[in-house]
Amino acid sequence: MADAARVEFERAMQRNLKGLEYFQTSGPTLGATPKDVLIERGTMRLYHYHPRTDDVYRVPILLVMATTNRGYIFDMVPGQSLVEYLLEAGFDVFMLDWDAPRADEKSLSLESYVLDFLPAAVARVKAETGEDDINVVGYCFGGVLSLLWAALHPDAGLANLVTFTTPVDFSKMEMFQSWADRRFFDVDKLVDTFGNCPGDYLYTAFDMLRPGAKFAGNMRLYDNLWNDDFVKSYRMFDRWSSDTLPLAGEYFRETTKKLMWGNQLYEGGMEVGGMAIDLATITVPFLHVAAEHDHIVPTAASAPLIDMVGSLDKQEIMLKGGHVSLVAGGNAIKRLWPNLVAWLGERST
Amino acid sequence: MTSTDPAAMFRDMLGEWEKLANSVGGGLAKSDEFTRFMHGATAAQMNSQEAISGMMTRALAAANMPSRAEIEDLSARLARMEATLGHIEERLGGPPERGNRPKPSRTRKPPAAKA
Repeated sequence: MADAARVEFERAMQRNLKGLEYFQTSGPTLGATPKDVLIERGTMRLYHYHPRTDDVYRVPILLVMATTNRGYIFDMVPGQSLVEYLLEAGFDVFMLDWDAPRADEKSLSLESYVLDFLPAAVARVKAETGEDDINVVGYCFGGVLSLLWAALHPDAGLANLVTFTTPVDFSKMEMFQSWADRRFFDVDKLVDTFGNCPGDYLYTAFDMLRPGAKFAGNMRLYDNLWNDDFVKSYRMFDRWSSDTLPLAGEYFRETTKKLMWGNQLYEGGMEVGGMAIDLATITVPFLHVAAEHDHIVPTAASAPLIDMVGSLDKQEIMLKGGHVSLVAGGNAIKRLWPNLVAWLGERST
Repeated sequence: MTSTDPAAMFRDMLGEWEKLANSVGGGLAKSDEFTRFMHGATAAQMNSQEAISGMMTRALAAANMPSRAEIEDLSARLARMEATLGHIEERLGGPPERGNRPKPSRTRKPPAAKA
């Protein structure tokens, strides 16, 4: 008991000292792995990370980020970066990332992402590497975009497709379904008024999925102010999760109507640019990774995906963790990243 | 054995409270009443934004200043020029410093295949 009291007293002292430091300093620098910006066009960014090995796998990797958040979730800090891990494992790594769409980009649609941005990124990766084949790894809605692109481009040289926490049955995203209820939610009015769907609107929606998390998180931060590792990790993830991007207006309108209301990807009838989408036309090796405690994309929303894809070589892995910790937390380092490197490594020569 | 450490008890309580708040708050947030209220608030915000936007457009026109729509048009034209420059840069092979970096060979094999 006396020992416990002494420890708590020391921590209280540290909290006071480090609490001051917390407000006087900024968090760690994120997304700093050296890279070239290959394309910078409106909302679209294509990065090429500098290879770390003299000999890389023949097939390069293109990471496709979700349009709601920044891609530095794949590249937090040294030692906690999927990009760094892939580079050290001998891959040539590219990332399709997004900046906030500008006001004049409100007319970007699903077609812009699937038939313009993704094909432009793939073409540039091929030109840069001199290879005709490419691995695509999509996260969350980046996974949806990758699936739509793959279904419409069977001859694009896709060697392997990996998706993380990617929804296909949008009727199972219960909380988002309630908020997008067409009886109350006028998506046309929102897009026509704001142009783009404001980032704050999306941030609030994500935040409300776990109403108690913010307060409990702040209390835990105070409790752990003495612990530098905890504070560093808290700041990284807090900054990333509050760095929510606006969505291009037409794209938001289209995804709401086709996916949230129509559930067309799962129930059929999904079209992009007038072309019908059938995930069964995807026949390349396919890996889907889901998180057991995903509060954003519940496992039920992504579960049908593995059966919908036409590949013979396909696998689903369910890992412990949540939507974010799956790709960037301690779980990711121990579980996801080694699995990903092993799966892609043997298929990328 | 139950812990008598008050700090540990507080941490346990916080965890339990968070689970309860997420469960109860989540249930409430899924209800029709909450959704109706939330979208009602958003609609009110949109209506006021529309009214302000209309007033601003008229005021800017009276002051002989460009409106938001006109600035957006200008921005779109700049974006097209930016895209054209990007295509030209791509055809020229990108910035010169990238060309000087040695490219790795592409013959790597997975560890199991090497053994």
